[in-house]
Amino acid sequence: MEISLKVNGELYPIEVDPETPLLWVIRDVLDLKGTKFGCGKAACGACTLLVDGNSVRSCSFAVKFAEGKEVTTIEGLGTKENPHPVQQAWIEEVVPQCGYCQPGFMMATVALLKNIPNPTDDDIDRNIINVCRCATYYRMRKAIHRASELSQQETDKRVENNKV
Amino acid sequence: MLRTITGLAVIIGILLLVLSVTAKNRPNTFEHSLDVQKESYSVEHEDFDRIIDVLTHQRCLNCHPSDNVPKQGDNAHPHYFGMKRGNNDKGFEATSCTTCHQSENNAYSGVPGAPHWSLAPASMGWEGLSRIEIAKKLLDKTSNGDRTHEELITHLTEDELVLWAWDPGVDANGKERTLPPVSKERFKEAVIRWFGNGAIIPSE
Amino acid sequence: MTGKKKVSRRKFLIRGGIGTIGVLAVGTYLFRNPIRRKIVKVINTVETPYQGNTDNPIIWFEITKDNKVVLHSPKVEMGQGTFTSLAQMAADELEIDINQINVVHAESSSGNMDSFATGGSTSVSALWVPLRELAATMREMIRIEAASKMQEDVVTLKLSNGIVSSANKSMTYAEVATGVSEWDIPDTPELKPLSEYKYIGKPIARVDLVDKVFGAPIFGMDATMPDMLYGAVVRSSKIGAKFIGADVSKAEKMPGVVKIVVEEDFVGVVAHSMIQAENAKSQIEVQWEGQKELNTDDIKEMITVGKGTPYVIQKVGNAEEILEDGENLIVSEYWSPIGAHAQMEPCGAVAHVEKDKATIMISTQVVAITRNEIAERLNLERDKVNIIPTFLGGGFGRRLHTPNAIQAAVLSKAVERPVKCFFTRKEEFQNDTFRPPTHHILKAKLSREGKIEAMEHNVSSGDVAFGSPMMPRIAEPILGADLGAWRGGLIQYGAIPNFSAISWRVKLPFATSWWRSLGLLANTFAIESFMDELAIKAGIDPVEFRLTQIQDDEKGRRLKEVIKAVADKAGYKDRIIDGRAMGFAVSTDVNTPCAEIAEVSVLNNVIKVHNVTCAMDPGLAVNPDQVKAQCEGAIIMGLSASVFEKMEVENGELTPTIYGPYKMALMKHAPKEIDVVLLQGTDYPGAVGEPPLGPIGAAIANAVFRLTGKRLREMPLQANLDKQS
Repeated sequence: MEISLKVNGELYPIEVDPETPLLWVIRDVLDLKGTKFGCGKAACGACTLLVDGNSVRSCSFAVKFAEGKEVTTIEGLGTKENPHPVQQAWIEEVVPQCGYCQPGFMMATVALLKNIPNPTDDDIDRNIINVCRCATYYRMRKAIHRASELSQQETDKRVENNKV
Repeated sequence: MLRTITGLAVIIGILLLVLSVTAKNRPNTFEHSLDVQKESYSVEHEDFDRIIDVLTHQRCLNCHPSDNVPKQGDNAHPHYFGMKRGNNDKGFEATSCTTCHQSENNAYSGVPGAPHWSLAPASMGWEGLSRIEIAKKLLDKTSNGDRTHEELITHLTEDELVLWAWDPGVDANGKERTLPPVSKERFKEAVIRWFGNGAIIPSE
Repeated sequence: MTGKKKVSRRKFLIRGGIGTIGVLAVGTYLFRNPIRRKIVKVINTVETPYQGNTDNPIIWFEITKDNKVVLHSPKVEMGQGTFTSLAQMAADELEIDINQINVVHAESSSGNMDSFATGGSTSVSALWVPLRELAATMREMIRIEAASKMQEDVVTLKLSNGIVSSANKSMTYAEVATGVSEWDIPDTPELKPLSEYKYIGKPIARVDLVDKVFGAPIFGMDATMPDMLYGAVVRSSKIGAKFIGADVSKAEKMPGVVKIVVEEDFVGVVAHSMIQAENAKSQIEVQWEGQKELNTDDIKEMITVGKGTPYVIQKVGNAEEILEDGENLIVSEYWSPIGAHAQMEPCGAVAHVEKDKATIMISTQVVAITRNEIAERLNLERDKVNIIPTFLGGGFGRRLHTPNAIQAAVLSKAVERPVKCFFTRKEEFQNDTFRPPTHHILKAKLSREGKIEAMEHNVSSGDVAFGSPMMPRIAEPILGADLGAWRGGLIQYGAIPNFSAISWRVKLPFATSWWRSLGLLANTFAIESFMDELAIKAGIDPVEFRLTQIQDDEKGRRLKEVIKAVADKAGYKDRIIDGRAMGFAVSTDVNTPCAEIAEVSVLNNVIKVHNVTCAMDPGLAVNPDQVKAQCEGAIIMGLSASVFEKMEVENGELTPTIYGPYKMALMKHAPKEIDVVLLQGTDYPGAVGEPPLGPIGAAIANAVFRLTGKRLREMPLQANLDKQS
């Protein structure tokens, strides 16, 4: 079946079994390897990406459900020259160790900040439930708070600029 | 079938008498065929039992928790990773039911799914309640979302999330989930007839 | 003295031949036998020598046209930060900016391979001298060549930021290297004094940070090759199951299947996509034999002190005799469960086997062993097999044997195309090389003044080092006791007049092996919980109690320093304040002492670790920020393993098989504050990645005792507390 998939702003017409998990289409058909396979059971969150801005575990998301929606992966978040606030915060706090689970955590954090721009520790504990075996949670928490600050600053700047 | 109030009172009285017996020796409703020759009160009793047997099965009960924690599996363990009711019965702000549950079951992951996947409202927590108490909650407009009997019939016989119980898919190990002990058709039949007969809760 | 060596044009090679570095004496009973000493030093001391090839030219550095240096690392990066430390070490001696260095995994064909492994917290310490000497040598080669090109005197040239300059000329290193086919190789230069280093000892950002934050395809599972197919191999869920045959008729008809490959020891599918391969795999009917219908209780029964063969691994004075008399004898037993690695990236490989050569892309901690195993299976010369290591999505010891590369290679050979083949998560959990369960019996007698007169630690454990391809075959009969199992099991309190440790070896019917810090986690849990029990019996503050049992030598001094530092930093008090108690524990692992204090509460029977303070002396911290990161991660991983994690054996299957049911620490369980104090007791780097895992379990259990009066003697602690309530 042909599906028209919009990923990181680009349209990809693909021929694929509509039940295929979105994860494998992203990784093996579109060759975007930043979204990771960890368990295939929606348990670990390594495959977290955004569909219309909401966090989704793509190993458990049939590709047909993504048709007509905006899919965002880690590759579409920011660039090295212009990193997304979440990526900037991750860099400032030097979060990753092995790094494998980090894209999933960052995507979950983007969704968190969209819903709660200034999250408390409890907000983070509830919503960020991905698994990191290197256990970088301590720095991640700091980075999430930092990303919140950076996002606010960005918003403030935009508001300022609009006034001018 | 027409009934009088007096007739009802008699039936309820008889039901109360037989309650202790049936509680110990509840009929296996799955195998129990409807016998039209039987007295009407026992038909009603069967309908009630059939309905409650479904509502108390883990496929239904797991999403009607009394502690805001969804349950999983036939052993009704708390949902892993600390998922809770959250806002609007749909999980947390950014990590919600739909982060993992879609509108269909996922055969690859074993994650179940159905339209508007969510917990039943807190007022409809059935966990730990007796069969009678569950039925009362079901009928009580202050707990059931202000639903009339008509609306309840529609909800119980047509809502896709309710009917998911008979199409629950496979679990994470690829094993078929267990089904409620009453077939979907018999459940619908029982619901329609029980409400049609006035939705009488046996003990009252 | 200099000599002419022929090397290639753009790349230039530096010959190996760097000698190994000294070995610390480990003066215990076991090591009197010189052969034992030799084997043990490989695994158990800081100074695990770099075991590279020293006969043939091997690639260490390349200079690129844009004046950058590529360092080919024989150690793999699995999160421990080794690449960054190596970059710092090389940049400082090479006189280049840290941004001018790019660290990559050395392919096995480069010759730069460590025949040992990446593991044991030894990467930085093993390369501390050799890598800096190589970098310094290369720097001097550039200086000599530049002098010739610039027609200047060697001594007048200054090297800085990858540029050679004289009073009036300058050249980049790349310009110097251009067109050179023969280099003068000087004698190994003197290394710079520590005080002159710009990067060593500084918190430099990880060199792999940007790749990891932007989702670069750097892991084994991200690897692809042109024209690649996907493989899947059937693995039994049952312990002991041996493959005998398979009916593949249904699977062959599944969509996308290219070939079903039936070998003597396994059956696999090759298909056009991973999903198709897995779907077809599920249709294969396999015959197994030898399944063992075991349960957790059977395993616990096997792992019991007194069963199997005892080996005395430590003996000072005469503890056994003193502790034979039951009067005033203090005895406690402890248990730890089977632990899973649960690393996020499953094991797997991409293999391309051609007529007379093979190329394998893989996350592995053992490049050389993997190469040798593939060569053997495919009947190829070793130098015809090229292993291209990728970044590891977690190692933790899981990838200290990666025979799964063989399966990918066999499938590739069968279809004559590259094949990518990975474990499913369920297969990871059931075919892991687990941390073995343990049982400990500790005995002691106290003097009236509260000094320990005699102490004995008996530990029973499944194998850790034994059975691993990393261990020489002769190790088992010579050593007897599994040195991985007793890591952390020696008694570190040298002022006790009589102490001994005895290891009981048990071979379990499923694979047990290296798990980050090996026996340290369980042994420290047992010993340090027992020390706490003794301190309470003696009525002495647990920190004070330990300080009085430590000898006055160099090792003892460093141990005391971390204890004092952590108590000071945490403001240690042995009482409950605002519903919280502090638990203390300390361990010494591969010569790195580490002390931790956990501030804990127990509310509604739930153990909550609020803050952890850690003082560690790893010697020189090449990158203090990454050393701290290792402490933070190890503390939470150790918390996870000791409070929550447990594998069960049910009807012959290891279970659970997924995150969630295999309960691990999540964000909400992580301490809100982790305060790490680094001491520097030596002027060279020691072990970092594993030592901080040691004390955390006991520290938490000791705090829980203060809060609840319940002594948790079995991990996982939360389940133990639930059972006692």
